[in-house]
Amino acid sequence: MITLAPAVAEAVEAVRLHFAGHPVEVVTDGAGGVFVTVEEVPVGTAYTSSVTWLGFQISAAYPDADIYPHYTGVLTRADGQPHGPAIQQVPWQNRPAMQISRRSNRRDSGVDNVALKAERIRRWLADQ
Amino acid sequence: MARRPVNPPADGWSLTLPPRLWNDLSRHLFRADGDEHGAVILAGQADGPRGQRLLARELLIARDGEDYVPGETGYRALSPTFVRDAIVRARDEQLAYLAVHCHFGLDNVQFSRVDLASHERGYPTLQQISDQIVGGLVLTPHAVAGDLWLSDGTRAPLAETVIPAGNLRRLRPNPARPTASDPLWDRQARLLGDRGQETLTHLRVAVVGLGGVGSVLVEELARLGAGELVLIDSETVDATNLPRLIAAERGDVDKPKTELAARNAMRANPQIRLVTVPRRVEHPEALRELVQCDWIFLAADSHAARHWVNAAVHEYLIPATQVGVKIPVTGDGEIGQIHTATRLIAPGVGCLWCNQLIDRTELAIEMHPDAEREQARYIPGIPAPSVMPLNTLAASEALTHFLLASASLHEDDDDLGSVIHRPRIRERHLQDARQDSGCRWCTPTGNLGRGANGELAIRHATNMRS
Repeated sequence: MITLAPAVAEAVEAVRLHFAGHPVEVVTDGAGGVFVTVEEVPVGTAYTSSVTWLGFQISAAYPDADIYPHYTGVLTRADGQPHGPAIQQVPWQNRPAMQISRRSNRRDSGVDNVALKAERIRRWLADQ
Repeated sequence: MARRPVNPPADGWSLTLPPRLWNDLSRHLFRADGDEHGAVILAGQADGPRGQRLLARELLIARDGEDYVPGETGYRALSPTFVRDAIVRARDEQLAYLAVHCHFGLDNVQFSRVDLASHERGYPTLQQISDQIVGGLVLTPHAVAGDLWLSDGTRAPLAETVIPAGNLRRLRPNPARPTASDPLWDRQARLLGDRGQETLTHLRVAVVGLGGVGSVLVEELARLGAGELVLIDSETVDATNLPRLIAAERGDVDKPKTELAARNAMRANPQIRLVTVPRRVEHPEALRELVQCDWIFLAADSHAARHWVNAAVHEYLIPATQVGVKIPVTGDGEIGQIHTATRLIAPGVGCLWCNQLIDRTELAIEMHPDAEREQARYIPGIPAPSVMPLNTLAASEALTHFLLASASLHEDDDDLGSVIHRPRIRERHLQDARQDSGCRWCTPTGNLGRGANGELAIRHATNMRS
């Protein structure tokens, strides 16, 4: 059982709500935050596999800290082209992953939240 | 400015008032009409270095004739409606309720018999309603007395009221008795006064980041006679650090920076008390030590350190100084405008978030585990230049301000400006902090003065890796 600060716990709940029906794994980062992995996330027909996992850290500094970067399973583009900027292959949480580096420079911590950013990342990836 | 007593820190219960709250309260109480005026302060609570601390969060002004009216047994009293609204808020927000009024006089103050009788009549009921600490304060411009009714049914006097403004003022019911300082400090006590020097020996000061700037801060704080230092840094000494770490030796490479700083402090002042925390500042152990200090020097140039220190300042009302040096060098070696920044972070007077000095994405990156941090940085970071004289320039500015503030020697209590020094063009100017009205750290709509019930306390009490 992980005891989480209220802001982190609320963020996890927001993710579960937004991705209702998807398995969501939550693992403590050991410093008051968590690593979250959402399974079976649709990323569209631009990739040879149209679903993958989406992972990110909600740190103990949330909601002041951005959620950055995001990680997915390794995807191959259906058109055979390489991935564009802001995507690089790295290991994450002991598995091969793609790191997606999308800053939220004008993020308002009172309005934006972890689920909205996860959804923006999913759509951005689908549109590439 | 009237000469006023300099009081060293006192043991026991204390109340800290953010500078703006103190100014609002002073304007309300100490008017030219010479009459008595009233208010209520709602305050958080926390452990402190010398006893329990009350942390003023909000001031409820009692309007003359409406909320502060002729009393049945005394000259004036808070109206029943005003008291009811305030005590209900204290209950709902888990805050201490402190009724405030002024007396005539300057350096000494005490409750009248009528005051104490009214506490005995009213406070047991108020405490039953709120289930929080209730109490009364009586003030003059230079003195404060307090009668606290604690949650366990006991009663305690308020030992001191602290105002962390341009001067770090401490108000007591009566001025502290003069004591002669140790002849060792003779030359600096001639500036600080015996009480100013004694103040230093009671202060608990944190230095976060023990690199080029931090090592200078530690050395000088120890030599000035600071009583206790909390030294926080998770790094070890690298060979490239040696030129700018005070008294570093070749054999110090790979040793924790806390070890080197502790050795220097002890060599400078064998009487000093030291707490070393070889951890990052967000670690619960570091946060626990940090929030029990009288002053924090932030000499770590990371966004995570800025965030957590900023949170401690405003949630626990501890003044801090951020000290940094910026040496911009372009990829082709062109040197930009070098500047040192010595930023005061006064509780409730703007914060590092309001002044856009923390980057949300960099903060996210720095909160990653060590193994993932550099990988998460999409464009790898390049080490910035660092030169000892510039570090010393910034550290010296910060320490001079701290020293004068501790002994109440600044001419202007309300000068909370930060100093930006540009040595290449030999310019130095002051910069006032900006404040966003809805900031969740430095305003009463956020975590200001919430202490043990605030976000920081909740976070470091949660299940974290030790």
